[in-house]
Amino acid sequence: MLKLKNVTKKFGELIAVNNLSFQVEKGRIFGIAGPNGAGKSTVYNLITGMYSCLGRIEFEGHDITGAPPHKIARLGISRTFQIPHIFPSMSVEQSIGVGNRFGAGGRYEPGYVNNIISILNLETVRHQGAGELNLLGKKKLMMGAALATRPKILLLDEPMAGSNTTEIMALMELIRKINKDMGISIIIIEHFMKVLTELTDTLLIIEAGTEICCGDPEKVTSNPIVIETYLGEAYAQSNQS
Amino acid sequence: MYLELIDVLISGLTNGSVYALMAAGLTLVYGVSKAFNFAYGSFFSLGGYIAWMLMAVFGTAKGYFFVFILSVPLLLLIGYGVERIIVSPLRKRQDWEVKVMMVTLGLALLLDNSFQVVFGARMKSLPPIMEGALTINDVIVSYQDMAIFILSIASILCFRWMLNNTRLGMAARAVAQNPAGAQIVGIPQNIIFASTFAVSTAMVGVGGILLSQKYFISPADGWDILVKAWVITAFGGMGSIRGSLYAAFILGMLEACVGWLFGMSWILVANFAVLVTTLAIRPQGLFGKWG
Repeated sequence: MLKLKNVTKKFGELIAVNNLSFQVEKGRIFGIAGPNGAGKSTVYNLITGMYSCLGRIEFEGHDITGAPPHKIARLGISRTFQIPHIFPSMSVEQSIGVGNRFGAGGRYEPGYVNNIISILNLETVRHQGAGELNLLGKKKLMMGAALATRPKILLLDEPMAGSNTTEIMALMELIRKINKDMGISIIIIEHFMKVLTELTDTLLIIEAGTEICCGDPEKVTSNPIVIETYLGEAYAQSNQS
Repeated sequence: MYLELIDVLISGLTNGSVYALMAAGLTLVYGVSKAFNFAYGSFFSLGGYIAWMLMAVFGTAKGYFFVFILSVPLLLLIGYGVERIIVSPLRKRQDWEVKVMMVTLGLALLLDNSFQVVFGARMKSLPPIMEGALTINDVIVSYQDMAIFILSIASILCFRWMLNNTRLGMAARAVAQNPAGAQIVGIPQNIIFASTFAVSTAMVGVGGILLSQKYFISPADGWDILVKAWVITAFGGMGSIRGSLYAAFILGMLEACVGWLFGMSWILVANFAVLVTTLAIRPQGLFGKWG
């Protein structure tokens, strides 16, 4: 469905993403992890056309390398950000409506917007200003606006950051629901390894923009190089016990 | 004294309504694209000259009907073209904001000098949109002032409706509030930049058509308007359309009062006094927000 082939991104002398290749199959959940500054969010910026790059990015057989972000969104790729990107003066319903109007569907469908609001449990705040929501509410809203574009693949950037255990469980359930019930493939960047090992079908670990390991999450998290460069011995020992 | 004061208030309201229209256009472009357009005042003169040419073609009787029907699409087209050809290519470059200022400054000089070459340095005048006056208890309100006020307010209401009820308006609000968030939900940012630039060009051009009936059209008129529009925008709060509307009426009234009490030459001084006081006391303006 989504293929990255030898993708490289440089910012001056800094190589943020180095000859990275991976592919995401339809209907799957694909995880990306790595230390801070490893280039995880940059990968999202490359896929969604926010940055230009070397190499090739394909989506459903089409070359989308260098395409502008709005065209990529209309093809069916949507994303969220680490820090919620919302439209503060719009209501929750209007914000989700914006995604619906301009996304892959290209027109406003009230029923679909209502469905998104319901899935995200935002009914009670649907007329509230987006800027007035708490962090979890803003995250859900950003996810809602992304889902409203009718994506085929959704890129989530650290959705669990700043959430407590109950909220993490609820978000994991929500991501499963989006994947299974709505049939949307998912790429998730996350630091919580438990979340990644429970949610994802494939896990990619990168450091300094370079692939360290990619494959089955259980195998990846027990890989000695991954433990040495990212997870640390403490994680490995706690996992064994 | 009483009648003079009423005249001053009417003049303040009329000018304030046109300033509100022009300042809302400037605020729209700044709010959406963060571009500082130095050619904004020249588009005011352009509106006046387009109206003058159309009046010459269609005559005064039915002239204004054709002036508005033809000049608005023309101004929209010119604004769209200017943004796509001159401003848009600069956005990919480093320090693009400064480059846009320089390029639009160059455009303003080009336009002003072109007006002088094409139309001459002598001032041009437009006939009043309506003749006659309404008299109520010795208070005389010209139909021209009433028409200017009504057309300005109607244009502002159309603008508000456009912002709240159309795809372009919704996209413009989204881009103004969160450019990255807007792009990833499928909003074509560059088209929105150009479209809002076009709308703002039409708004200041219509302002030029309306005010050119009361005053005159001359090649360098735009600079005075540019200063006024920026004072209003800074006073109201950068990027706040509501703020610019309030500020425009306050400035319009202040101008009328200062002109009446101290003479017209003190109006620009009063404008700058407001700007300096605003920046000193409340730098974010009446309705502006930090960040």
